[in-house]
Amino acid sequence: MTEKESYSIQLDEVDWNDASCLITYGPLPDKLTLSIQTVGLIQKPLLQRNRDGLLRIVCGSRRLAVCQQLGLEPLSCEILPTSISPETCLRMAIYDNIAQRDLNPVEKSLVLTKMAQHEDQAQLIQEFMPLLNLEPSTVIFGRYKKLLLMEESILDAIAGGTLHERIGFVLSPLEQGDRFAFFNFFQELPFSVSVQEELVETVVEIGRRDNLTPREVLDSAEVNDLRRAHKRSARQRVQEIRKQLLATRAPRLTAREERFDREVGKLKLPAGVRVVPPPYFEGPRWSLECTFERGDELATRLRQLAELADQPEFKQIMESE
Amino acid sequence: MKYRPERLVIEKGVAGSPLVKRILETLPGISVDWVDELKEDADGENGSFLEIVKFRGRFIKPCPGTRFYNCCGYQILNLGIHCSLGCTYCILQAYFTSRNVRLFANLDDAIQQLTEHLDNSRRQTHRIGTGEFTDSLLLDPLIHLSEHLVPLFAAQPNAILELKTKTAQVDLLENLDHRGHTIVAWSLNPPQVIAGEESGAAPLEARLEAAQRCQRWGYRVAFHFDPLLAYPGWQQGYQEVVDRLFSAVAPGGIAWISLGTLRFMPSLKTIIQQRYPNTSILDEEFIPGLDGKLRYFRDLRVEMYAHLNELLLGIHKDLCVYLCMESDDVWREALGFSPAERGGLSAMLDRRALS
Repeated sequence: MTEKESYSIQLDEVDWNDASCLITYGPLPDKLTLSIQTVGLIQKPLLQRNRDGLLRIVCGSRRLAVCQQLGLEPLSCEILPTSISPETCLRMAIYDNIAQRDLNPVEKSLVLTKMAQHEDQAQLIQEFMPLLNLEPSTVIFGRYKKLLLMEESILDAIAGGTLHERIGFVLSPLEQGDRFAFFNFFQELPFSVSVQEELVETVVEIGRRDNLTPREVLDSAEVNDLRRAHKRSARQRVQEIRKQLLATRAPRLTAREERFDREVGKLKLPAGVRVVPPPYFEGPRWSLECTFERGDELATRLRQLAELADQPEFKQIMESE
Repeated sequence: MKYRPERLVIEKGVAGSPLVKRILETLPGISVDWVDELKEDADGENGSFLEIVKFRGRFIKPCPGTRFYNCCGYQILNLGIHCSLGCTYCILQAYFTSRNVRLFANLDDAIQQLTEHLDNSRRQTHRIGTGEFTDSLLLDPLIHLSEHLVPLFAAQPNAILELKTKTAQVDLLENLDHRGHTIVAWSLNPPQVIAGEESGAAPLEARLEAAQRCQRWGYRVAFHFDPLLAYPGWQQGYQEVVDRLFSAVAPGGIAWISLGTLRFMPSLKTIIQQRYPNTSILDEEFIPGLDGKLRYFRDLRVEMYAHLNELLLGIHKDLCVYLCMESDDVWREALGFSPAERGGLSAMLDRRALS
């Protein structure tokens, strides 16, 4: 056990700029403020005196911040001896927090980034990633480390749950302007997380192919028109924007789908019958769906289909342009 | 262009092998790490380290085809993995974690397995290649592998060795007694594609000149337009390659020409993006194929195959042109027939192999 002593401190003794053990990120929880306001500080913060004589916060940064907001002082705190190493202090902060709650993705990133200054990467991945409910993998470690390089508003959204960390991972390698273009886009319209991921990939690929920045792709007239079509529901706009961007990325497939729809329309298939091409028109297996209610109805449809199958138009829908 | 590793990493167990002795003699003064057992995550990139190990598995295996597409029935003689040519699209980047070239030092075991394999199936025609997991001739100046393999196949009535390469390192083949049982094959692409995507490989002219020399020494040659890449102006680019090909080699001495458009496992996409951020090979649209690999959209593949086939057969109508990993419907639309109509792809190539 680490020896520590209780002291009564003034808040101006706290070194608020020393974030070496700070792994909390996000707004102060209202319930913590209410708790301290109502019954005072129950659990003592843990601090350590640094070389300047000021106190470094080890555990309890949010409690101390609430006390500062409320003007509560002097405070009874526990003070660690200076002999305790920075690494041990950081470990105390981490273990204290994970024992009480799940950390948000930005906090997980803070843990991994700060511990990386003290710990070998392989060891860090093995010890800390499972503690953070993360798969111990170098790739995932790298993704979390890059999260912190992003701007505060994006980190706030990730910490607050309005932007999924998976989207943070795909936005982190982008230029700042492109990142914000996506961020604003996703805050504006209700795309699912998987669609957001798909759109980032699609837009980046369109940009690379057409020599445009992702921001320029998102700002294109076609996308903007759909974005501003306020007569349509947000969900409809989401679907149409997605369709538009996928069509831009895959013009050959889109053209083939359109041709298929056109040609199938011309065939005038009997009611309840549908021709289904293979996925992506790849492979030889086409299928036919036929719904019916009575045996004689099925017999009629099959006769009609047999005639249709011999038509050159029917064969044409299965061929390339 | 000649491959010269920065460092050798050699398992102590193969220290006495003739192959290791030859390499050490050829590269005096090179740094060597002697290790008990090779680590999979060794440092080094793009072939900068040459790892020499004992291979404990099967040296000869069927080419990993798939039931969804027509497979040519090729067999792989696996004597090493990876290469240093650094082609952007190389599928090996997704197969292997390490980027070092690895060579299997127990060549005697490989030859024994090969001989047994051929002896056990005398009635079957064997088309066997060493260029699936590495370049067949990349290390030849260093290890003289062709001096072992070419005479060995020359003595086999039912087997053909195909040496597939993007190098022009054919010098050692000149005086070997091949008896028509070795086919030397090159992968071809337009010069601008070679410059951008195969920058470590020999230029087109050097490959064709090497093919010309091999023809002069009596070897049959083969060509693989694989991967065919769609880029603005690809039609003209490949037309020029075909023109230059036939100004260099005699069509009658070509065993076969394969066509295959770019295809890769999805996991390779991220690797390519990270290693080659300026490449444009991922710009075209891709769809997931029946085998799970990403490929060009079917209509584009058909267009490319039909274009190349027309160019090639326009020069010499008896060329054996085949598609690598494509379905019957694509064959019929692009080439006008399916392999089944000619007894199957494997039989088609077997006939050419021993003709």
